[in-house]
Amino acid sequence: MTIFSEIYGTYYRIVSRLSGLDSFSDREVYDVIGEDGFRDSVLFLPQKLLPQADGSDWGLLKRGEDGLLYPAVKDHPRVLTKLQKMWLKAKLSDPRVRLFLSDEALSKLSARLEDVPPLYRTAHFRVFDKFSDGDDYESEFYRRNFQTVLKAIKERRLLKINFTSGHDRRMSRVCLPFKLEYSEKNDKFRLYCHDVKNGRINGGGLINIGRIDKITVGKIYSGEMPSENDFFRNIRARQPIKVSISPERNAVDRFLNEFAEYEKRVDRDLENGGCTAEIYYDGRDETELLIQLLGFGAAVEILSPESVRRQAAERVRKQAELLFGKNGLKELQPQ
Amino acid sequence: MSGFSELIKNFSKTRDFVRDFFINGFKTRSEFDKKSARTYDNEKRRVESWLGDNMRYNDSVRGRMITISVDSRRVSENPLYQAYYSKSFTDNDIRLHFFMFDALKGGGKYTLKQLTDILNVRYNALFDEQTVRNKLKEYVDEGLIIAEKQGKTAFFSLSEDRADEILAEYPGLSDAVKFFSESGEFGVVGNGILKSARLSNDLFFKKHNYIVHTLEDAVLPDILRAIDEKRFAAFTTFSSKNAKTEKTSRVVPMQIAVSAQTGRRYLMAYVPSAGRFGSFRLDRICSVKPAERYADFDKIYEKYLKNAPRCWGVSFGERREEGQTQPIRLTILVGENEKFIIDRLEREKRAGKLKQLSDGLWELTLDVFDATEPLPWIKSFIGRIVSIEGGSRNMRETFLNDVSRMDKMYNGAENDDIQ
Repeated sequence: MTIFSEIYGTYYRIVSRLSGLDSFSDREVYDVIGEDGFRDSVLFLPQKLLPQADGSDWGLLKRGEDGLLYPAVKDHPRVLTKLQKMWLKAKLSDPRVRLFLSDEALSKLSARLEDVPPLYRTAHFRVFDKFSDGDDYESEFYRRNFQTVLKAIKERRLLKINFTSGHDRRMSRVCLPFKLEYSEKNDKFRLYCHDVKNGRINGGGLINIGRIDKITVGKIYSGEMPSENDFFRNIRARQPIKVSISPERNAVDRFLNEFAEYEKRVDRDLENGGCTAEIYYDGRDETELLIQLLGFGAAVEILSPESVRRQAAERVRKQAELLFGKNGLKELQPQ
Repeated sequence: MSGFSELIKNFSKTRDFVRDFFINGFKTRSEFDKKSARTYDNEKRRVESWLGDNMRYNDSVRGRMITISVDSRRVSENPLYQAYYSKSFTDNDIRLHFFMFDALKGGGKYTLKQLTDILNVRYNALFDEQTVRNKLKEYVDEGLIIAEKQGKTAFFSLSEDRADEILAEYPGLSDAVKFFSESGEFGVVGNGILKSARLSNDLFFKKHNYIVHTLEDAVLPDILRAIDEKRFAAFTTFSSKNAKTEKTSRVVPMQIAVSAQTGRRYLMAYVPSAGRFGSFRLDRICSVKPAERYADFDKIYEKYLKNAPRCWGVSFGERREEGQTQPIRLTILVGENEKFIIDRLEREKRAGKLKQLSDGLWELTLDVFDATEPLPWIKSFIGRIVSIEGGSRNMRETFLNDVSRMDKMYNGAENDDIQ
């Protein structure tokens, strides 16, 4: 039993898909390869799929007298493997699974997988730096809200959401939800939504599921679905944060690993042997990014934009005053 | 490029290249010193074939740089899963797979000989019994085929579990699989279920999404098996300094420690030869082999569970299994309308203890093995740290020097009190 096996592979999957069709042209084979294959698969796969005069193909497609192609095997059964069942079993122990399944469905699925060992146990893994105020997945209120927004996303249904903001203000929004985002660091779910005013899309934002007080379900939105790319482009900060990373204390490796999640452009700094990076980010994450960069100390310098550099400079100045200023160092010398 | 194939036999070799492209992303062809330039070209082409639009090319004076630049927060499917779908196979493998399933899907049970005859007659193939036997054995192990003994004879049939049917049978299960295919352990397996059922994740994004972790999932099952069976494990790693060197270590795995904030995963293990616990980056481990059982596993595991909460992250410090260090005491300034700082300290302090000293002053105590490990987190409170005591002299001096240098960097100040 292995994760890396040809039974899960792209080529097998393409053949399986073709087996579900009645008949098709050569062109359609190329189309399926183009949709489901790797970028270069059209260079390799057709000669193994399409019947060849020398019999070098796999023999999985046959050419009919009408010139069309027919699968040699029909409707290939998509069997769930032992590995996949073990994975499902492991997920039954995850508290978040009850956000998706009712107690009855969970109970039935557990019974179905009773004899299947889990792929891993909870005790095998320890996330040591997750924040401790994560969402309450045991709460029925939370569970109901989660399932309501999930259903609304799938049905493209408008919602009126009453919630408490991060500054403890009561707020309300009529919106069209379109995606849920999960953060393992925060252990929270957030809802991306388009704001709707007078039946038209007008901006949008993010709502913490855990801060929802009440949801009223509205009608299905019949207008044109706004572009997600436009939404995310609008919330992106206008300029990337540019930083210089020095090679001391393995900072380059640490930086590249820690900021791997961000889209960025990285280049070698010929002067100091480190590198420079431009980090693209959502504007509302600026403070989080700033304190993350300050965590690297003097190994990382924020170069631009000026507004972010100024924030860093101000925090550092305050810190230096606290430690080295008139009321600072002489009373607070390290012991 | 003669002999190039999109498919690969050995995952660990390609994994290393993909990781290099993704993490280091600013090397040119001449800077990849691990293998020949020809290998670089082949691996690069393969990765490009898998990842397509996610590849970026930046031209610099040093040459063309290849990077995988992904806004991981906005991907519905981890693009690095493609590497797992590229295992090579023989012509016989694929023929046998589809013909065998077709022969068995009617629900019949057949002996090896009966099945071989069906395959050769119905599908005009030439499989010998040994080939069919080997494939049956493989698929029984994968759970695709069921073997039942009737007397001395084995009968083979197809498993009745179908990916699309099981997802449809339990309302909400397909949504759960969509979520867990991108969040949590072994997401690639969930992604495989979705693909089998011809579904895709259209509901969830993930913040702090370290997609490169999926490359390590290939070695994880053997580590977990060693833990469950209380065994030693021998693993090889690539040295970060000298990429041509492989190092072999023999440890007793305890647990996998995961950082949600830095993206790293670690094998936490007991090293009997050193008499202490240690941590090993999973991304540097290229292969793992469970070995013989470790007689003292239960005793050592209990000790690990007792000691692990005193690690800030993964470091047990310089001491042996149980260390004695001075707790770190931080005094933090919190302004009048800054309850959010207290909230931040509460949720991020891990096993630390927080108490209010007076109006606007709070003290956080961290009793950890390695005093330098919390330093990056401590530095994220720059601007508010009134004092830092305890821990180690090295840690305190590092912090003070760092602040002094940062002040010079941002504010151009020379501080005469620190020389």
